[in-house]
Amino acid sequence: MHSFCICNNPVLPASKIYCFSPFILHKLETVLSIRNISKRYGKIQAVDDLNLEVMKGQVFGLLGPNGSGKTTTLSVILELIRPGSGDFQWFGQPPSKASRKRIGSVIESPNFFPYLSPVNNLKIVADIKDLGYDDIGRVLNLTGLYERRNSRFRTFSFGMKQRLAVASALLGNPDILILDEPTNGLDPQGIAHIRELILLIAQQGITIIIASHLLDEIQKVCTHVAVLSKGKKLFDGEVSEVLAISDSYELSAENPAALSESIKAFPGYRSATVAGEKILVYFNSEVNPGELNRFLFAQGVILTHLAERKRSLEQHFLELLRDNA
Amino acid sequence: MIKLLKIEFKKIRTYRIFWILIGLYFVFLAAGLMMAEFMVNNMVDNMNKHSPIPFPHVAIYFFPWVWQNISFFATIRYVLIFPAIVIIILITNEYSFKTIRQNMINGMSKAEFLLSKLLLILVISVILTFLLGLVTFIIGISHTSGITLQLILQKSSFIVGFFITILCFQVLALFFAFMLRNTGLSIALFTLYVFIVEPIVFYFLKSPIVHKNGISPYLPVNSILRVTEYPAIPVLKQVMGLTLQDSVSMSICLYPLIYAILFIATVYIVLLTRDL
Repeated sequence: MHSFCICNNPVLPASKIYCFSPFILHKLETVLSIRNISKRYGKIQAVDDLNLEVMKGQVFGLLGPNGSGKTTTLSVILELIRPGSGDFQWFGQPPSKASRKRIGSVIESPNFFPYLSPVNNLKIVADIKDLGYDDIGRVLNLTGLYERRNSRFRTFSFGMKQRLAVASALLGNPDILILDEPTNGLDPQGIAHIRELILLIAQQGITIIIASHLLDEIQKVCTHVAVLSKGKKLFDGEVSEVLAISDSYELSAENPAALSESIKAFPGYRSATVAGEKILVYFNSEVNPGELNRFLFAQGVILTHLAERKRSLEQHFLELLRDNA
Repeated sequence: MIKLLKIEFKKIRTYRIFWILIGLYFVFLAAGLMMAEFMVNNMVDNMNKHSPIPFPHVAIYFFPWVWQNISFFATIRYVLIFPAIVIIILITNEYSFKTIRQNMINGMSKAEFLLSKLLLILVISVILTFLLGLVTFIIGISHTSGITLQLILQKSSFIVGFFITILCFQVLALFFAFMLRNTGLSIALFTLYVFIVEPIVFYFLKSPIVHKNGISPYLPVNSILRVTEYPAIPVLKQVMGLTLQDSVSMSICLYPLIYAILFIATVYIVLLTRDL
């Protein structure tokens, strides 16, 4: 666990799932595998035949709009609710209280005894997880709560409560950290603080599973992502692949028919739609307009109009959801 | 086990309501015990106004009868309700604070959670029994002349009866708390059951129309309270024709213990099958 893993650096692509420990070079192990999990609440299918694999060292994002089954999935893997069907394994073993002791998690609201101080609340957590109390100071410092360590939890602001939940999850350096909407309800400063913390933890080699409806958040901190909608997994993979920002260009030419034909051969071409005299072309990767022009000219197509059209991340996310609805 | 008790102690150590309610229990108990003789003799005085033969005043604080009398007064519903409400609050708090969820997430099992609450009940019962035993001993010593060890020990089985009663009554409270999960609702329904519902059912089942001997004594609360049934006051025997309990028998303790096991088993099964 304490080996240095370059794959944990969210800045680097995580596709090379190899871990460089001081002594051996080994392939990363599966931390969590979910097989065909379904959960139904009355008429609502909260989770629908979900399959997921999370590898050691990944920062795995569960991305989906509200009600897409993210929290239900997390509740199932934490054994808070029993799945209707399907099963899951932690570290290749059936779930148990021993596996839960290796997991730190922040689910929905921070749950603590209001009349106890953060220190006493964390002592209870440490007792349950069979940890000593030595780590309490560190996690309180890390989350900026050390000064308030002896105030009652009840007197905390929402942001502080959320940070205490994160502190509790970090207690004893868990192998896995599960965060459900960790920045929900926080002010911009609080959001920035939590995100920095997540990146810092990821660098230490801790596997992180994070649920969010914010694409921006997933993109900033995750290496891998699964996109959920209505309890179904639409797709999963590396963030850079799944959430690739395909550029689009607006083009028109003297001969529109030839343009429509020739453009299909351009590397990275995805689709095109005709809008009046112009056509809108989508690409899977970033495109240099000069190259595009040169390519079409070589095909004998003379452009009369070329304009780049950037889309926002949210627009892109909505398109992903719509395309796969 | 020790670990679970340590956790429970952390949860109650600075919880003011817990200490206030336990304190109230002692205040009520102490007041009740001090008033008991006075109240009984007041009753005797009232009866003597209408009775041609005067009844003598009673003394209830001497060995060996003091065990039976104090155990009886310490287990009337109005006094027992305090530790029961403490248990209800401590369990339903875990639901309203969602700390039961957090405990599970952190790696406690449902069995351990239930066990920790049962251990808490056990410890509270042991401590209360010890304190009551001590108080009874002191009261007995100061009211009895010519003490022998045999005299002291003669009726001491009633202190075991007190322990069984307070233990099983709290288990009944635990059952209500785990089933209903809401503090206000649990306290309301528990109080309603103990003071109104069961006495009504008791009365109805006792009626000779339904069953000659009646199954009333075997209702949950009644089987618990029956362990220490009447105070050893001769006047009760003479006026009401009651047969006084000689000692706390094994068979009379069996019913509340069977109920306790049934309640615990039900709670465990429900905990296992219910989502948190």
